[in-house]
Amino acid sequence: MTTAREAGLVSCHFCHSLAKIPDTYNDNNTTLHCPCCRSVLHSRIPHSMTRTTALLLAALFLYIPANLLPIMTIVFQGAGEPDTIMQGVLHLLEGGMWPLALIVFVASIVVPVLKLLVLFGLLLSIHFHSNWNPVERTRLYRIMEFIGRWSMVDIFVIAILVALVQFGNTASIYPGLGALSFAAVVVLTMFAAHTFDPRLIWDNLE
Amino acid sequence: MLTACPDCDLLQELPPLEIGQAAYCTRCGCLLRQVRPDSLNRSLAFAVTGIFLFILANLFPFISLSALGIHQDSSLFSASWAFYTMGHPLLALIVFLTTIIFPLLSLTGIIVVLLAVKMQRANQYFIAPLFRFLMSTEAWGMLEIFLLAVLVAVVKLGDLAEIIIGTSLYAFVALIAVLTLLSLSLDPEDVWNNIREHQA
Repeated sequence: MTTAREAGLVSCHFCHSLAKIPDTYNDNNTTLHCPCCRSVLHSRIPHSMTRTTALLLAALFLYIPANLLPIMTIVFQGAGEPDTIMQGVLHLLEGGMWPLALIVFVASIVVPVLKLLVLFGLLLSIHFHSNWNPVERTRLYRIMEFIGRWSMVDIFVIAILVALVQFGNTASIYPGLGALSFAAVVVLTMFAAHTFDPRLIWDNLE
Repeated sequence: MLTACPDCDLLQELPPLEIGQAAYCTRCGCLLRQVRPDSLNRSLAFAVTGIFLFILANLFPFISLSALGIHQDSSLFSASWAFYTMGHPLLALIVFLTTIIFPLLSLTGIIVVLLAVKMQRANQYFIAPLFRFLMSTEAWGMLEIFLLAVLVAVVKLGDLAEIIIGTSLYAFVALIAVLTLLSLSLDPEDVWNNIREHQA
């Protein structure tokens, strides 16, 4: 089994054209362009581990205010009631709408936590040269990259509610700082998944 | 054709594929290529349909709320506008980008790329970077997630007020269907092969 890198080749991240790495090539001060799409070629995403770690740490810190601060405040007949993510799920449950409660729970709580845990776990497994099932680890990464964006559903729900429910003091909904923190968590983890290079899982085997 | 797996970098020979067949990496199982029937023409048709539906979905409110004799309605744009007027410009920007800018860019961009390929004008200086941009920003168009959010919002408000479904919601649902068909009919390797041939 030979990888492109071992064969002196580099595969374009975008168009998957194979290009030969010239002998004079030095990763730090020469840039190589894809012959097909002109993108800058890298055998591996540069500083992938450092960048992914930094983005994940930022997401992890913002995850705290995202859960503690209200994502929205519902003003009903003059009295305001702040709602956090978890309270929003509980309200749906109390209203007997458990399928929706489940959707929001999975999208807003399970997915972000799972994504943070899995990506941190993958980084650690690469750092410690783990040999544990690389096929499954690569698959985990693909799943996380795919489902991460669905966490945005809560942000969109707030946007729609805020746009619709504006009846002055009778009933109004205002967005809270928790929503901003949560959106930042989603965006940061999406970037983190994007800068993570699954090929590192395979490089560090043996 | 010799190819390297994007997920594990394994070099392998990609066998010639029949229409509808898919090739997976022998080591990590990553989808390397799936050949779609008549990919360029069908994708172009879906993208053009998508543009019309996108305009329709943006023209009218998709949902209206009626309570205490006051009428409130929401369009795609007013969802992000609401955040802006409430003092959350960053949230407004995120919603605006993911529900309007990226879906619009992706639809118009794909039409430009496919037309260029069909007219044998797929050069590496404009078309290739454009297609590269479209493929790498695919995850940021979130209209299907927005549709799920509409559903959640409707159920949440259902017993509090009367909800009127607007014309745009129908266009919106059709748009999601067309976007799904578009992503199922587009074979990016087909476009790249055309760009590669154009240079040779």
